[in-house]
Formats: sequence, C-alpha cells, structure tokens
Amino acid sequence: MPPPSTLRLAAAPHRHGGHTVRRLMLHMVIALLPATVFAGALFGLAALATIGVAILACLLAERLCAPRSALGDGSALLTGLLLGLSLPPAVPLWMAAVGGFVAIVVGKQLFGGLGGPAFHPALVGRIFLQAAFPAAMSQGWIAPFAVGRATQLPGTSMAVPFMSPSAAYDSFSGATPLAAAKLGDGVAPLADLWLGTVAGSTGETSAVLLLLGGLYLVGVRAVDWRIPVAMLASVAALYAVLHGLEPARHPDVLTAFGSGGLMLGAWFFATAPGCAPMTRSGKWIYGLAIGALVVVIRQFSGQPEGVMYALLLGSALTPHFDRWTQPRPLGWRASR
Amino acid sequence: MFGHRLGFSGGITLPRHEPRSGELRIRQMAFAPELHLPLRQHAGRAAVAAVRPGNEVARGQLLAGGDHELSLPLHSPATGRVVNIVEQPDQHGGSVSVIRLAPFPGDTQEYHDERGLDPVSISAGRLLDAICAAGIVGQGGEGRPTHAGLRASAGRGVEMLVLNGIEEEPAFSLVPAILRAHRDDLVMGVRYLLKATGAARAVLAVEQHDGEAARALVTAVAPGLSMTLRVLPARYPQGAEALLLRILADRTASGDGRSGDAVCVNLVTAAEVGRLLAHGQCVTDQVIALAGTAVREPGNYRVPLGTPVRFVLEQAGLRAAPVRVLQGGLMRGQALASLDLPITKGVTGLIALGPDEAGVPEPPLPCIRCGDCVDACPMQLHPAQLGMLARKSEFKSMHEEYDLDSCFECGCCDYVCPSRIPLVQLFRAAKAQWRRHQPVAAGESAS
Repeated sequence: MPPPSTLRLAAAPHRHGGHTVRRLMLHMVIALLPATVFAGALFGLAALATIGVAILACLLAERLCAPRSALGDGSALLTGLLLGLSLPPAVPLWMAAVGGFVAIVVGKQLFGGLGGPAFHPALVGRIFLQAAFPAAMSQGWIAPFAVGRATQLPGTSMAVPFMSPSAAYDSFSGATPLAAAKLGDGVAPLADLWLGTVAGSTGETSAVLLLLGGLYLVGVRAVDWRIPVAMLASVAALYAVLHGLEPARHPDVLTAFGSGGLMLGAWFFATAPGCAPMTRSGKWIYGLAIGALVVVIRQFSGQPEGVMYALLLGSALTPHFDRWTQPRPLGWRASR
Repeated sequence: MFGHRLGFSGGITLPRHEPRSGELRIRQMAFAPELHLPLRQHAGRAAVAAVRPGNEVARGQLLAGGDHELSLPLHSPATGRVVNIVEQPDQHGGSVSVIRLAPFPGDTQEYHDERGLDPVSISAGRLLDAICAAGIVGQGGEGRPTHAGLRASAGRGVEMLVLNGIEEEPAFSLVPAILRAHRDDLVMGVRYLLKATGAARAVLAVEQHDGEAARALVTAVAPGLSMTLRVLPARYPQGAEALLLRILADRTASGDGRSGDAVCVNLVTAAEVGRLLAHGQCVTDQVIALAGTAVREPGNYRVPLGTPVRFVLEQAGLRAAPVRVLQGGLMRGQALASLDLPITKGVTGLIALGPDEAGVPEPPLPCIRCGDCVDACPMQLHPAQLGMLARKSEFKSMHEEYDLDSCFECGCCDYVCPSRIPLVQLFRAAKAQWRRHQPVAAGESAS
C-alpha cells in the first residue's frame, strides 16, 4: 500500500491512559448499584421513588443550565444518585426534586459547572434540604422491611408542597440507630448495622455493600484510597480512645463504622475530585480532618450525625491543605 | 511510598509490546534514490558545506565541517554525486540547508575499514576529538553532540559512566537488539567511553524485561572491564537522564542532570561509538526502530542518513495507509507534517499509526482537580496549577513560582488526565512565549 498523501498532525503525547471523567462517573455509579438495589429491597417503593426523582431533577437542571453534551459526562447522574441515597426514604418527593435542582444549580453550575464546585453538589442539595425542611428531613425514616413497602408509598412521599402531610409518619416509620443512641434508647445489634437492616437514609445503611463499592472504586483506580483510609483511620482511632475512656457514652469502633452515613461519605463523597486536595499528603490530612470532625460532631454536638457537616468543613479547608502541601519540584532551589 | 523504591516518585506504567524474534536484530536498509542531508542534525550549530553541486563523493567522505565545539562534521552516507544544496523545510516548521546526494548504484558502496583506535594506548583528549570527528550525536535525548557532554564530564572528573539502556518507547526494541546482536560493539564502546571520561566504572541500567539479556552480557564481559548491572522495574520516564542519574546515585540531580560524579550515555550511542571508532569510520547511517500498526515489518533498521521517511516506510512495507507518522515515541515523538523529511542523526524511531490508533480525541473538559497529574509528574511539578496559569497567560508565575523549566515534556500529565487537557501543549506554548520575552543570556549559543 502506498504511503498517504495527507497526514494528521497532533501534539505529543500520542497516547492516553483511558481514564476519563465519564469513566470515573460511571465507575462511581456502578459502585453504588448494590447499595441502591438493597435500598429498594429494604425500604421499598419510597426509596426508589426518592432516588428516581432526585436523579431526574438533577438531569433536568443540568440540561437547562449546560449544553446538551454536558449530560454525557455522567456527573449529573451521579449527583442525583448520591443525593437520592443520602435522603431519608420517606422524604416528600417534591423536596427531593428541590434538592436536585439546588444541587445542580447552586451547588454546581453557579460554581462554574464541571470542575468548579468547591463543595460536593449532592452535599449542597442535601444540606439545603436539611436547613430548609428540618422536620421532614429528620422524620422521613422507614423501618426496615416495613410491611407493604413494595406496593405503597408512605403518606409523606406524596405530600403536597408546603402543606403538612396529613397521615404523616405512619406505620412505616422507625428511628435511626444514631438518633436512638443519642436519645439513650440503646444500640442496634452490630450485625444489623453492618448489613444495613436498620432505619436510615436511603442508601447509607449497609456498610458492607458500601465498603464493597468503595473497594471496587479503589480496584479500578477511580478514587484515591488515601482519602477513605485516612478518614476511617481517624474515626477508628478517636472512637477507640473515647470508647476506652467512657464505654457507656461512646460506641465502639465497629458500631461507629456501621452506623450513619460514614461509609457513604468516606468512599463516595469525600473522594469526589475538586472537593478533595490534589496532592497526596493533602489527601491524607483532608481525610484525617474529616474523620476527626465526624467524631466530634457525632459525640459532642446536638446532632445525631455529623458526616455531612464534616465533609463540608473538610472541603472548605481543601484550598489550605493544597497550599500547605504544594509539591516541591525536583532539584528546585538546590540548583539555584 | 513507592518513590523510595524507584528513586523517583510519579511516572506511569505504559503497556508493553513484547518484541518478536525478528525485531531482536538490526537490519540494513537499502539506499534511496536521493538522500537529503541537512547541515544541522543536532542541537548546536549547523556545519559548513565542504562540497559543491556536481562533486562526486565517497562513502564516509566529509560533506560539511564543524567550526565550533557544538557543531559536528557531516559525512557522506553513500558514494555518489552531490545534486545540489538547497533550503528545505525542517520538521519544526523552519528551514535548513540540505545537501542532496544521489548515490551510485549498489556495488560501489564499500566503506573502507580503516585502522581502529586502541582504547588502551590512546589519550582521553584524542579519543574525544575522534568522537567529535566521527560526527556522533547522543541518541534518545535532545540530540546533543556526544563529545561535548563527555568533555564536560571528563573535565569535572566523573566516577561513574551510566549506560542508559532504558527503552525510550515501549513499542521499540532497540535495547534488546543491541544487548543480543551487538555485544562486541557495546563492550568496545564502553572501553572507549571509560577512557574518554576517566570514569572508574560503568553501570548498565536496564528495565526488568531486558534484565536477562543484560545479565548475560555483563557476565560475558572480559575481565578488566568494570561493569555492573542495575535492573529497574519498568516505569516511564525513568530513562530521562536527570531521573536515571538520580535513581542510580540516589541524589537530587540538578536541572541538567549532568552534575555530580556520573555521566550518562545512551546504550545505542555507546554501541555506535564502539563500532565506528574500532573501524576508524564516521557516522553514515542511523539506527532506528520502526513501529506502529500501519507497518508490516516492525523492527530495527540501520538507515543511511538522509533517507526520506517515505522510503523507509515503503521498504518496511505498509499494512495500511498511516494516518499519523511520529518521529520518536508515542509519548514525546513529533507528528511529521511530511513524509519527505529525511532520517537524521538522533532520530531514534518512527511510528506509523494506523486509523485505529490515531483517532481524533474528544474535546477537553474543564479540570476537575483530581490531582492525578500531580501524582504522575516525575519532576514533582504541579501540572494542574500550571495548566490553569497557562490559560491565563501567567507565564512569569509558571516559570518563577512553579518551575516550568524543569518540565521536560514527558507527557505523563496528559496521559493520566481524565479531562484530556492538552497540558504538554499548553506548557510548550508557555515556554515559547516566555522565552520570547526573555533577553538572550550572554554566551548562550544560538541553536
């Protein structure tokens, strides 16, 4: 075959590792699938509706704010899924929709779209709802395997916007383990906590499934293992000390790991690029700091759960972590 | 973490191509009907033509002379006639004076074997002069004249000669070919180089996959030659001089990678030094690797200087029409604008990419600040930050605060970037912009 008459030019390097934003988002979604399916089985229709509405709201908001091609990178899909998984399953669906809009419009697009946000968009949506509708957000729990969950929605889900739901918090409801512990109502069995057969936010209950998803992400190198490892290590260390000093007041490490949004936060929220520092040592500090904040908020504040606020504070400090840990160029200064 | 084991942190692991047995030797390529010989084939100054159009020249005869420490003589790759001397475009978009030579047909192309140099009795100074007179250019780097680097290190008094056997590009198999098929040349070259630099010992550095061949060579080496082996886990871009010296000496190399008590010479260069000086010959051809899916017979070829790329590809056979042809490796090689460009000294290989390999990349997305590039940068720079500054044209900050000058454009940051931001391209443009606004430092040679 004769050589061609025209050649295509391009700048080096002429090869790419294949790791793209789209793949990153897709891996995240795949890693969350087991927890999503489990949420459907545990909390029924309400959980699936919450997740679905959150995703649709995010996609719609993204479509309205950004060019059509932006939907293709999968980041809005992931934001919606994470928001849905972090909401109480029986939350009024219109609130889930509002949360999705706030996540994308305020949390992401106002910060400049992909790569811009300083805080995780899903977290912004979640915290907005927490601040705006504290009652609904702290009461929309469903007891695990509630009867009739597969066929009917709790009254709260279909609540009309800004009207108080009439048949509110019916037979479905159940307290989350962390809230129960805070009120001194005893601790759920460890096995239930880890398997996730307890009340809680839609996708946060099963520590085992979330851990599996996290390990998958590390395996395919979609996230940096340093962040979750640092975060969980600092939580473990602090709980070990606290539990040792005051076993009656503070839970042990395994209980702490199994409860609340710790696993979801550590593997899926804290690792989001843009919210975490870029340097390796920065990632260690960031993870350790978030872990410490989780323990402080959980054990010493009025809130039953602290992962959300700890993540927010950690991201707020990210620019500083980055600045403190700037890489030092090889041979820099030494040669001058 | 891994940084200590490897001697540097960052870098990437590239997919490896396992050479077939046919690629483990160097094949001679025929003469093209016309050879194009640029008067400048390396970093440094152009040579001055010593022939005129119409002159008949013999293979190995001087075509152009060097008149400066950083310019090298150019010898005729073939017995033939000088057609003319013209200005021609070079691969960087500039132009260069080119001697066009028409080789005579086949059997007149004998290269007389002169008396070689004896590495024991000759003085270091005369050896360096001989390396310069042979017109030898260092392979696998920026194409600097070999003798200049050696002379600088000889004056400094180096202790260690590092033989760089790290393949520039995983698709190439020059290193195993030299280690297996050209041992004698290599050993001879090491003798010459040790003498020329005054180094006490040589260290051969290769990657894991060439470890066996290198071990066989080092064990077979005659007594009296102090040569040891360092086998490194495969990791791009540890073959870069600054990094390799740092790994072997375990100390921070300065910007030019030449400081300290070691000097680095490419394995292919060392074998060429041994082959040429032992026979009293000069550089008349260039050893290149040929790769890419569009090539029917990839492998290593000894190509007469000045052979057009088109002729090389035709001789090796094409499986498909190449979409993009690179001079050098996939990570750092330059896409050629024309197949009429000649093979010159310092060209280590050609890659002809087929349609399956050279698609149009997706448009870049904004930086998501994942930090993968920071992890990958072997020079511990901050590519994400530099990229952001480049978009704002903050060239001063890029150079003075973020040390862009240390960047040798290895391409690791581009390779790992999930947003596919063309970082190296941004950096190259920023360097050019910055250089344009800098006064030329006194004593710096025009290159």
